[in-house]
Amino acid sequence: MRKNKFVAKTLLLIVLAFAMVISACGNGDNKGTNAGNDGKTAEGKSGNSSGELKPVELVMVFPVGGEPKDLKLVQDEINKMTKAKINATVKLVPIGFGAWAQQKTLMMSGNEQVDLIVSGLGTYSQDVAKGQLLELDGYLTDKGQGVTEALDSLDPAFLNATRIDGKIYAVPSIRDLAADYGITMRKDLVEKYNIDTAAIKSLDDLDAVFKTIKDNEPDMIPTVKYGTSILDIYVLSYFDNLGEGFGVLPGYDNNLKVVNMYETPEYAEMLNTVRRWNQAGYIAKDAATSTETQYNLVKSGKAFSFISHMKPGIETQESRSTGKEMVSVHFKPAATATTNIISIMWSIARNSKDPERAMMLLNMMYTDKDFINLLDYGIENKHYVKISDNVIDYPQGVDATNSGYNLQMGWMFGNQSLSHIWNGDDPELWNQLAEFNRNAVKSKALGFTFNADAVKTEIAAVTNVQNQYKIALETGTVDPVSKLPEFNKQLKAAGIDKIIAEKQKQLDAWAAAKK
Amino acid sequence: MQASGKLYQWIINIVMLVFTFFCIMPFWLLFSASLTDDMELVRSGYAFFPDKISFSAYHYLWNSSSDIIRAYSITVLTTIIGTTLGLTLTAMVAYPLSRLEMPFRNTLAFYVFFTMLFNGGLVPTYLLYTNYFDLKNTMLALIIPGLLMNGFFIILMRTFFASSIPTAIIESAYIDGAREWKIFYRIVLPLSTPVLATVGLFYTILYWNDWFNGLIYLTDSHYYSLQNLLNRILLDVQFLQSSTQAGSRNADIGANIPLAPMRMAMAAIGVIPLLIAYPFFQKYFVKGLTIGAVKG
Repeated sequence: MRKNKFVAKTLLLIVLAFAMVISACGNGDNKGTNAGNDGKTAEGKSGNSSGELKPVELVMVFPVGGEPKDLKLVQDEINKMTKAKINATVKLVPIGFGAWAQQKTLMMSGNEQVDLIVSGLGTYSQDVAKGQLLELDGYLTDKGQGVTEALDSLDPAFLNATRIDGKIYAVPSIRDLAADYGITMRKDLVEKYNIDTAAIKSLDDLDAVFKTIKDNEPDMIPTVKYGTSILDIYVLSYFDNLGEGFGVLPGYDNNLKVVNMYETPEYAEMLNTVRRWNQAGYIAKDAATSTETQYNLVKSGKAFSFISHMKPGIETQESRSTGKEMVSVHFKPAATATTNIISIMWSIARNSKDPERAMMLLNMMYTDKDFINLLDYGIENKHYVKISDNVIDYPQGVDATNSGYNLQMGWMFGNQSLSHIWNGDDPELWNQLAEFNRNAVKSKALGFTFNADAVKTEIAAVTNVQNQYKIALETGTVDPVSKLPEFNKQLKAAGIDKIIAEKQKQLDAWAAAKK
Repeated sequence: MQASGKLYQWIINIVMLVFTFFCIMPFWLLFSASLTDDMELVRSGYAFFPDKISFSAYHYLWNSSSDIIRAYSITVLTTIIGTTLGLTLTAMVAYPLSRLEMPFRNTLAFYVFFTMLFNGGLVPTYLLYTNYFDLKNTMLALIIPGLLMNGFFIILMRTFFASSIPTAIIESAYIDGAREWKIFYRIVLPLSTPVLATVGLFYTILYWNDWFNGLIYLTDSHYYSLQNLLNRILLDVQFLQSSTQAGSRNADIGANIPLAPMRMAMAAIGVIPLLIAYPFFQKYFVKGLTIGAVKG
């Protein structure tokens, strides 16, 4: 009898312990919002059928590098605007770039409401393959004419470049959709040593420049890496990297014949140049391992230049980032490939509670000047002031360090060319940018997106090998004469040929379907 | 004999001193980096004794303090609540499992043990907590998932209860008229302070250092804990460094990210409370583990 009682009590104790865990979970203070969401779902759906727009809340997810203080204020302003125009409120959900991949994946795999989301960032084809993005063609013709018009006025190739199996799952933001390549240097030193920028036509012309700097400014590093290495970005001036860079198209054409970038003579040539620079002391000794950004290095007066990709207005942008006046020399013409276009795009997620309304919001991002400026720069007279009709600057007493809303990510939110021009930039910047986009060399494979699913294991293995060699080679830390063949041998062993073959197969099928 | 013993002592002391030095060195480097002028740090790198001492990083933290102070209080709050709850629940599960009379004792013990070896994986866990329990963007997301109960701690405590609390005490208390509850909190718990302190310290450290739950369950910066905030900043920096996607605009993103000395200063203020707390816990920590081992 006693024993039974004890048993019952102990059992009760355990049940209690577990019950506490579960009840604690259930009592989350989120009930309110949850009920709200359910309500909205129903409303949204009935809204579609009746034609009358019922209020909805749209969730807009995008990456940021540090959340601005006044985000809620801006969101309230946005809501006033969207409420009036499409009877919807918008919830802005910024996610740090570092946490982006993980949180985005998790948010998309659940039933969480996500309406508009930034897609691309290297995972476009995977996201489409997983069925996480809605097909947009129907919505675009129905509610998103503004988006199509804005993009097609540049070149219909841009919107078409996002097609996967003939369907659009995302629209690129209007920004620099191509890139040209060259070097950015400190203007004061260029002038001080009378460096003839017009004479710089290729990487090999830089030796003389670097020598001048090295000889006259012994504490300064002539050139620092951009991205993970000196050549990291610059190689794209020679090749369309067709996604992840294993298997590229030299010259953005090569008659659609995919080759291994690491075996091309151009690549070997570039490595020799960088190695020469390293031996001559033009590159920091710790270049392969340093984690300091090129901007901080220039800002602190330690570095003179970096080799990178460019666009119109690059000089003022880099001057702002480095705090020193910079001058750029472009020596590789602008080119565009699928990767340039699909790096930043907007999609409607599968989890969207009301895709039609989401498309209407997206349409606003491509057509509505006031909405764009609110997203890009915040509230007028608080976060910026107009100094002329379309040129703006910080209000008095506000600067980059204490502004409550200073995303400076106009390239992300829809149509950048509708936004104001920041003081110091060329007033004609958006026209120049449009011309730049129109005139860029279009890759022959523009519109081809590689689906890496079939060769996932090979990609992982090859990436491992690449991590071992690439940075050391591209900073000139090791000798390419002996290490490049070794690198290539390891790549072969890891299965790079299989990736290239698969890519060629997909590319051929893509080209055939296009005809 | 005496001389060789002394020599032996000397060697041990020197080895320990060197070892201690290597333990303290990284912290010292961190502190000194947080006190270095930011541009100086870029120019000449980390140094144990910076040429130019600057408190600008701490100034910056103090001035933009609302975020940091909120993150700090979130960390303190989750640590206190989490440790208390975690310790209570762990003891309440471990104690019945330590009693031989407990029915299904082995089955339940295996159930606990099983969670140590297998879990559902990240996506199912996330779906459970966000879709069914609605923990997303709440304080509870920092307290409940993965931290509140830990199979290892339960087994640690059960072993202690089973081996260090003589059954005779429980029986005599029972004869004197105490019921299970009373036996548990008047007899067993007071006798178990070593293991409670040990597991309590484990929980404190776990909660204090936790950033992962914040990373996956929070999108609202209102609930960021200090470690999560720091981790996000570091991840962003890493992203800026490593991302090589064509046309990725690393350039424009970096503006909002604090410079290295600020990050070091944040890490420094994050680690101080644990450094202070540790010596106080330590005596229990050692005792807790040995008592379990010796008397068992």
